[in-house]
Amino acid sequence: MTRHLLLVLLALGVVACEGRSTRAPSGLLSTQQQDPALSGNGKLLAVIEDQNGRPTVQLRNVEGGGSLRLRHLSRHQPHSSPSLSWNGRYLAVITQRGNHRLVLIEDRLSGKAHPLRLPSGRDPVQVSLAPDARKLAIQTADQGRWRVEVIDLGGLLEPDGPGGQRSTSPSEPNR
Amino acid sequence: MSRVGASLRRSAESRRLPSMGQRWLASLASRNGRERVELIDLSNDTPVPLNGINQADSQTISLSVSGDGQRIALVRQREERTELMLYRRSVSALQRLPINPPGVPRSVSLNGNGRLLAVQVSRKGRWDVDLIRLP
Repeated sequence: MTRHLLLVLLALGVVACEGRSTRAPSGLLSTQQQDPALSGNGKLLAVIEDQNGRPTVQLRNVEGGGSLRLRHLSRHQPHSSPSLSWNGRYLAVITQRGNHRLVLIEDRLSGKAHPLRLPSGRDPVQVSLAPDARKLAIQTADQGRWRVEVIDLGGLLEPDGPGGQRSTSPSEPNR
Repeated sequence: MSRVGASLRRSAESRRLPSMGQRWLASLASRNGRERVELIDLSNDTPVPLNGINQADSQTISLSVSGDGQRIALVRQREERTELMLYRRSVSALQRLPINPPGVPRSVSLNGNGRLLAVQVSRKGRWDVDLIRLP
């Protein structure tokens, strides 16, 4: 009897953790989406989409699916490894400038772009922005090995953390 | 800009797939030729235990930590299968998440509280992104 009860509880637990799955919103029905990144509050989704053969970052509302305008990210493709802060004020992404890859952080509230040169001088491979935008982790290659550097953005960006920050969140019309 | 996490270079032969939480860094760290998922508490620069997340016969290809550091989503290859997994630190449990309709996962992103998961999935030769709401 006890064993029976345990099996039922285990099965219920598995079902409970399966979650509900939906297709993410996309701008065009046929557009493929890669490299997803959610904002900390789960309201925004950044993805890489192919636009005229160029991998380009796109930002969408999770609910409703409208695209949001990105002022500084319509060029310097290919884009890769997008990452969002808690309210989506900041979007970090790797862009191409000449022969080098460069991290660019777009501040959607102020409209500013923050291009980052790494202290090591190496090209970024993958980035991850902390939800409060105080730190950025960057994967680089160094003498045939992968490295991760974490840099402090405290002197560069205002924090974008949960709770009390919503008033500073950007509110932009859908494209 | 200054660097933090002074021990990152010393503590592993190589490190990749960084994912930042509020005060957490999850990554794939290599030691003695073996890669392991590692979670570092950046407030004291110390790894925290992740009992059961690393299995000898699996290869992690994407990972994401929730903002609160409580959940880690990962895509792994194991026995010629590609699986979507969720690790919950509160119960030290690694659990496979089904993908419906079926597809092959590639890349993951968790939101701040770990209740919403975005997954890049291959279906019939095209890439989609699924959103999975987790209890």
